Amino acid sequence: MLETSVRQVRVALAMVLGRRLNVRAVERLVADALLTLQEFGSLGDDVDELADGPFADPDERRDLQNRALQRTVRRLAKRSPFYRERLAGTDLDALTTETLTSIPVTRKADLIERPADFLCSSPYLVTQTTGTTGRPVQIWLSRYEMELWPALIALSVVLRGDIRPGDRMQINLSSRATAAVQEDVEVCRLVGASCHVVGQVPPEESVEHLLGQADGIRPTLLTGNPSYLARLVTAARSLGCRPDEFGLRSIYAGGEVMSRALTEALRDTFGAETVGDNFGMTELLPVGGRTCSRRHLHIDPNQGYTEVLDLDTGEPAGPGRLGELTVTPYYPYRECMPVLRYNTGDVVRTLDGEADCELAAVPAVSQILGKAGQIHRTADGVVTPRDIVEVLDGTPGLPFPLRHRAGVQGDGRLHVEVASRELSAAEVTKLLLAHDIDARVTVLPLDDEEAARRFPLRCDLLERTFTTRSHA
Amino acid sequence: MTVFYQLAVTTALALAVVTGAITYFRRIRTPRPPVGLFNGRDIFLMMGFVLALPYVYLALPGATLPVVLALVFAGGLSVGYTPVIANGRLRWTLIVLLIASVLVFHLAFGETAAPYWVANSCVVGLVVVSATNLNVQGGMRLGNVAWFLLALAVYDAFFAWVVPLTEELADAVQGYPYAPAAGLRIGEDLGAVVGMGDLLAYALFTTAAYKAYGKAGLTTGLALVTLFGAVAPVAALHLITAVTGHAPALIPAQVFFGPAAFIGYVLLRRRGPERRMVELPPLERATAVVPA
Repeated sequence: MLETSVRQVRVALAMVLGRRLNVRAVERLVADALLTLQEFGSLGDDVDELADGPFADPDERRDLQNRALQRTVRRLAKRSPFYRERLAGTDLDALTTETLTSIPVTRKADLIERPADFLCSSPYLVTQTTGTTGRPVQIWLSRYEMELWPALIALSVVLRGDIRPGDRMQINLSSRATAAVQEDVEVCRLVGASCHVVGQVPPEESVEHLLGQADGIRPTLLTGNPSYLARLVTAARSLGCRPDEFGLRSIYAGGEVMSRALTEALRDTFGAETVGDNFGMTELLPVGGRTCSRRHLHIDPNQGYTEVLDLDTGEPAGPGRLGELTVTPYYPYRECMPVLRYNTGDVVRTLDGEADCELAAVPAVSQILGKAGQIHRTADGVVTPRDIVEVLDGTPGLPFPLRHRAGVQGDGRLHVEVASRELSAAEVTKLLLAHDIDARVTVLPLDDEEAARRFPLRCDLLERTFTTRSHA
Repeated sequence: MTVFYQLAVTTALALAVVTGAITYFRRIRTPRPPVGLFNGRDIFLMMGFVLALPYVYLALPGATLPVVLALVFAGGLSVGYTPVIANGRLRWTLIVLLIASVLVFHLAFGETAAPYWVANSCVVGLVVVSATNLNVQGGMRLGNVAWFLLALAVYDAFFAWVVPLTEELADAVQGYPYAPAAGLRIGEDLGAVVGMGDLLAYALFTTAAYKAYGKAGLTTGLALVTLFGAVAPVAALHLITAVTGHAPALIPAQVFFGPAAFIGYVLLRRRGPERRMVELPPLERATAVVPA
């Protein structure tokens, strides 16, 4: 106990003072938490404070944010050629959350054009984004980062009870999502859970693994992109699987818009108690977000600073406004290829008032509504990709995942193209209209392959296997 | 007469503290930090603390020692009895009254008077009950306690017979209130005193044994405390006096109890692995910790 207290103080001091964290100390804290669970069956008092960090008090939070930002920009100006240029003339020591807006945002294009100019320490692993939403970008990570992040995540999931020793996690992420897969594998190791990196194989095979048909062990946790999970729903239903045939407790999704209908379908099909919609980007790791029961996205303020920049003005968005998520991961959590004010392109709506949910202590915005480039400004108003997905996803005749595209035509009216062999354009139009979305609808009676070609999703990064079964 | 008096008082004190600790353990759960439990390394740290503490006490100027002890007692009582008396104002009022009563009785009746010893014994006993439960409910295992007591036996023998540190400490607190001991004196002839460390050892062992092995652990603990914590040291005191003609100033009780407790642990271990806190039956009477 005394040893654990010393370790906690050591890690907390490094966090507050902005020094590199001792990864072994964090890993040992994970082990301490597991031993505590083993002895007591639960963690002790004030565990939420330990899990969510010391940011409950807004004044304290602002002070720590200012210091973390100053520390981060000083290092960037010193080590990154890109930011040395960008920060020239900026008084780094006087930087605050209020004056941060004077620094231009960093865009994905900057990372693609000048990747080497972002490097601040020795790289160890390069990971490449999937490119589903544009040109892929290469992100370099240091050995320290690859060790630290899983340790921090493992500590967090153990404190929150999300993963327990003895769990088995099935990872249905694309093998190209190197950092995310590596993180999940390491987290399982630290927590004492087992994992099965299945990848984005044909969905029927994944369902067989979920049923434990290969080795008799049924996974308790599942992680994947919403569109791939949607394919699993379709596959499980077509195979006639019942929820009690699966051993899933929690399903974690991220990387795409996940609708309420898909969340419910995952719960109903696989019998999972928890279906989490998480936010995370390779460029911003380990900063991440969780969705609460009120469907707010709560982004962890301990490891990075999050802004919402108004879609129209580029200034911090007022209450209830649409804006782009812009995130600055702090040093010492991000050290190799750090970014400052990274514009994610993800659109959210700021909350109109305080959050009143179980995660109220953590700052929140709306769930991600889509990419900024896909926001539809129609004659009637703004329609987000989530607006459309929430209406159409799960509609009988539109199998999971929803294959569609939307755009605004010259007359200012929304045009929605949907792949379906069962629904008519009139039916889809009526559905949208019932939710105040006036659109001209085209229904394309495409087969699965053609639909995937016309309307690609992350699930289409399918990995072939040498199984005898023939899957589409 | 003296033998029986000392046997009765020592046994009563040891069993009273042990019973108090067990009762607390069965009825109340102490608050605990989010993460962490006692382990072998903590026992090393505790042993280091035990080694260093007498030197720190002896280094303090005379009158400072009782002040430090009073503050330590007050702190210990506050931490341990928060779950019992959630109202902070009431808790602190009672603690101050209790601590003050020791001083008042000491000033009014003197250091050898029964009222002072009764009050001081109450404070010491309550502190031991709270410290025992903070440790055992913090995850301290019987194995940890057994090894700790074995080390304490060596320590006790060394500092009683080789380097007379324990005697120096006993002399240092002589004449001051808040002696780290429980006991009872009646007149000039009858007196029996048990060190606070000894009481803590008895309570720790019995409570940890009860936690680990239930009724069997409790029975073993009570028997060992009675025989090797109370009877053996008193018998040894009188035996040495009879043989040498001189009454020793103190008897290091852990020399008897430490090895006996360790053997008791080895025997109990045959029953299987120790129970964990999560495996214990529900509290006899739920006591919620309500912050004041």
